[in-house]
Amino acid sequence: MNDDLEFLMGKYVARIPADRVYAANHLWLKREGDLYRVGFTAYSVRLLQDVYFLSWSLDPQTRVRFKQEIGEVESSKAVSSLYAPCDGLVTIFNEKLLNDPSLINTDNYGAGWLYEFETNADLLSPSQYVDVLAAGWEKTQQMIKGQMNE
Amino acid sequence: MAAKKITVIISQSPGKNPVKRDLEETIAAALLLEPSVDVSLVPHLYDLTSDHSGMLFLKSVRGDIVLLSWLFPRAARWILDRNFVKGHAGVSLLKPPPSDDDDDGEDGDGGVPEPEDRPNALGGWDLPNRKIYCLDLRDHTNANVYLDEIRRIARETSVETVELLGWINGTPAPQQLERYLNPVDFLLNPAAKNGNPANGASLPPSGSPPTANDAANAAETTRRRWYPVIDYSRCTNCMECIDFCLFGVYGIDSVDRILVEQQDNCKKGCPACSRVCPENAIIFPEHKAPEIAGSETGTVTGLKIDLSKLFGAPSALEQAVLERDTELVADGRDAVGMAVGIPKRRTQTPQPRDALDDLMDGLDKLEL
Repeated sequence: MNDDLEFLMGKYVARIPADRVYAANHLWLKREGDLYRVGFTAYSVRLLQDVYFLSWSLDPQTRVRFKQEIGEVESSKAVSSLYAPCDGLVTIFNEKLLNDPSLINTDNYGAGWLYEFETNADLLSPSQYVDVLAAGWEKTQQMIKGQMNE
Repeated sequence: MAAKKITVIISQSPGKNPVKRDLEETIAAALLLEPSVDVSLVPHLYDLTSDHSGMLFLKSVRGDIVLLSWLFPRAARWILDRNFVKGHAGVSLLKPPPSDDDDDGEDGDGGVPEPEDRPNALGGWDLPNRKIYCLDLRDHTNANVYLDEIRRIARETSVETVELLGWINGTPAPQQLERYLNPVDFLLNPAAKNGNPANGASLPPSGSPPTANDAANAAETTRRRWYPVIDYSRCTNCMECIDFCLFGVYGIDSVDRILVEQQDNCKKGCPACSRVCPENAIIFPEHKAPEIAGSETGTVTGLKIDLSKLFGAPSALEQAVLERDTELVADGRDAVGMAVGIPKRRTQTPQPRDALDDLMDGLDKLEL
């Protein structure tokens, strides 16, 4: 059954499941009825490492625009604002994560989902997403090294 | 003859935060006992209109000034400049404390930053021969840190006084000297002789300690404002801001220099023009992002890596267009998106590319 793709980040293998679609800002979106469930890809989680804080700056059932800021994540190594992957409607957030965001690390493709989302936007297939990763990997490493050397 | 005094002005926090008030008042009370210092309180500098009594007082000061405010020094300096309270930037030796995570004890680049070489900047103009020192009250919680620095500045400037007095070339009349040393009474309390202090004067009468009551009275006369402040030590007069802003905030002066003409046309909370400024010369002192509020460095340094770009952060220009559209729609006008006033990216690049340029271009290519 396993058609999952892989992307090599140094020695770390980021698994890219074949059963869902992707957004270029390193989120997966999986069909659940009329909605998508959205979460961090293995690539995101590998860069973030241990997530210990997650917060959302909007209420459920809020319509958002592509790249609109919707929340924040902080981990042992990194901080980031979070942005909508495309135009759409955020319907609910994963309540479990608000108390214990470590599910993002332990089960990022399952119980560690972030929110549910309604959208008609075109999204990336697993192989398209792997192409995005391959195209950006060098630069991403440079960016991280650059920030560490500041 | 009385020694020249340095004027210290404390610009009060806009809120009524007791901790901030306490710091202001502790400093003010201590300075009242200093023979070399004249101390005054004014309301939050950014909120003062040009004809507010606090600003009129600032304009009346002729000598060196130390301004303590809850603003980045760059912001404070250029707010003053916009109100014709001009002078050369005095260098304070007070530095923001290193961040908590900063564990390199060597204070590597924490020294006095070299003024950046900005050959294309307009620079300040008509600067009188005096210095204005701006200290940020957010940097330290201990009043003594500020008091020590003010005393140091007072000593530093008293050395220069000798030259200045020589330059005046004459002995001022007693009234002139009095006016010079105590411009407050002269300007703000013209009615003081009648026992009737100037309406809404934000300054305590000379000699009596400032009180919270004075501050509270002063606060009544100001409202919170929001407008851009141009740092002319960075501004190159490129006119991107006047092209981008569709609310009539910017104008040009008689010699075609950009200026903030209609401050109150600005849309509260909107920092879009600051984002399109290629020199980061436009300051919104109350914006939450330090680089927009006038922080010297323009970057928030921390130990953690910021992955926002990877997770889809919009570029500064995209953000600016979004903010402008929001304000246009709120005004009942049509959103214009990228159609109007988009910066014509400067073609001349005086600096050679460096690794950072490559890095930034690389991130852009990711097209997140």
